[in-house]
Amino acid sequence: MYSLRFGVPEPAGCGQVTGVTIEQPQWVAVEHRFLGLDRRTFRPALIAFAIAVVLAYGLPALNAAIPWHNEIKAGDVLDLGDGATAVPPVGWQLENGTLTGAAPASLQIDLATGGATIALRGASFTSTADAFLDQVLRSQGSPGVNAARGTVTTAGGLVGVAQSSSAPGGDVLQVAFKMSGRVALLVRVRTAPGQFERYQDTVGALLRSITPGAGR
Amino acid sequence: MTAAKTAQLTAIQQSGWGQPFRLFQPQNLAFWVYAAGVGAGALAVLRYFGPGADFYRPALTGGVLLFGLYLLPWLLLLRRQNRYTAQPGGLLAAAFCWGGVAATFWIALPANSALLEIWAKAGGTQFAADWGAGLAAPINEEIGKALGLVLLIGLAPRLVRGAYDGFVIGAFIGLGFQVFEDVLYVYNGAAQSFGVDQIGSSLQIFVVRGATGIVSHALFSAIFCAGLMWVLSRVPGERDVPRGLFTMLAAMVFHFAWDDMGAIGLLPVVVLPFLIAAVELCALFYVMRHAARQERVWIRDLLAPEAETGVVDPALLSAVSGLRRERKAFRKLVRNRRRARHLVEAAGDLARELALAGGHETVRVAYARAELLRLRGA
Repeated sequence: MYSLRFGVPEPAGCGQVTGVTIEQPQWVAVEHRFLGLDRRTFRPALIAFAIAVVLAYGLPALNAAIPWHNEIKAGDVLDLGDGATAVPPVGWQLENGTLTGAAPASLQIDLATGGATIALRGASFTSTADAFLDQVLRSQGSPGVNAARGTVTTAGGLVGVAQSSSAPGGDVLQVAFKMSGRVALLVRVRTAPGQFERYQDTVGALLRSITPGAGR
Repeated sequence: MTAAKTAQLTAIQQSGWGQPFRLFQPQNLAFWVYAAGVGAGALAVLRYFGPGADFYRPALTGGVLLFGLYLLPWLLLLRRQNRYTAQPGGLLAAAFCWGGVAATFWIALPANSALLEIWAKAGGTQFAADWGAGLAAPINEEIGKALGLVLLIGLAPRLVRGAYDGFVIGAFIGLGFQVFEDVLYVYNGAAQSFGVDQIGSSLQIFVVRGATGIVSHALFSAIFCAGLMWVLSRVPGERDVPRGLFTMLAAMVFHFAWDDMGAIGLLPVVVLPFLIAAVELCALFYVMRHAARQERVWIRDLLAPEAETGVVDPALLSAVSGLRRERKAFRKLVRNRRRARHLVEAAGDLARELALAGGHETVRVAYARAELLRLRGA
């Protein structure tokens, strides 16, 4: 039997003669053979392959081709949850996360501009900011050469612990804050190699703008 | 040849029951696409888990163990649904593997990330946070999983023919996807909390994902793939394109509703999951009942000569080829739950042996018949 719709042949490995199933070697008739493959199996295989390629590679390619148009405007404020906020740099693209006025599902914010990204991540943590930064660094392994730790104090009086590191892939600054309740916040700034100085004031302004939220 | 014998041979020929399944078919392009998909998926698994595998080992180990155990009752449940002209274990294992490795890691992971970001670019980050999951996963994941069914049609065209085949195979593809995705969630949960309390977070995810998993990927895929087989069915008279497309769409809508439950917000968060689950389960049973129609006819035809000779009586024939209702009625008739189950199982054994023998009389057929007669006489 042969299906016109899918072009799927009956299996080469077996056949039926008057109701008796007999095993045959896997044999493709010469008129159906192409490079040793059974041409009749091409249609389902190629359809599946084409759709898989569109999903697995086409969508990421399409995404890469579409530019961001979610620019931070003057007056925008990031919602860090539980009343905590931060003022993002104007002109950067908000790629993930929510501004105040919406209910954030989780504390995951990504901001990006030409050669730099800022990621803000919240996690449940009960100990100090210093211990939280230790935990973060342990989870990342050893990304490069670490500088000594420093203290960051925001305009709202929140004290954080900062550590910068350099690697061939770029410069990274990580700042940990202990927020209200059981939440800790990590701010991770990544820049292209040697570009950190260019964004220092912008990053400093963002860090100073972080408010601790309710209950603190 | 009697009419019953002709019907039996036609049922064996149409159902393909008893045909062996061989995954390794180097002459079949579907095999190479399957192998490429699973291979690319396995590579993606290594890339995803590899760098953090050491630090997140407690979470990963916990996730694998917990969801490995979670898999067992699911396999038992799905084994029960693999009734009538049952699919061979190798084919179902291939389906599970596609769902877990290829559909999850090769297709859904990059496709979902990309589409979520596209939605964020198109509608803003708040829109993406509210609706992105429901507008990405049902498209990428349902299609990605169903590609496994398409490849299995190419690999076993005589075995994968009708809607019930799609239903059972889809459930196994979905189960594979579900379990591997659950382990992925455990890992992501541990990574998001930077490895704090890894066992606690994996337990938390196990409870949440385990409970919601009852009406998750196995269900979505069973419905979607049954629908796909109504579109592609090669069983005479079974193809029904509108019904198939509607069923596939329904599975995607269920997936959307589950993923975007919070954003839908029509009903309180406490009520909505139960309501959606109830609707999904009703749809599942409806699809299963309709998909099984042809399979039930085949079982009746397969055992028709045995019914003519009195080996299988009408009540038993109705039970072995029937739904839950018919099996329940048979239990009542026999008045012994255990015996009724044994009789139905023995009649199923006889049907399988007849299919394997191509309707011919063999030692195994004679033995299966003798067993059934022994039980009936008991």
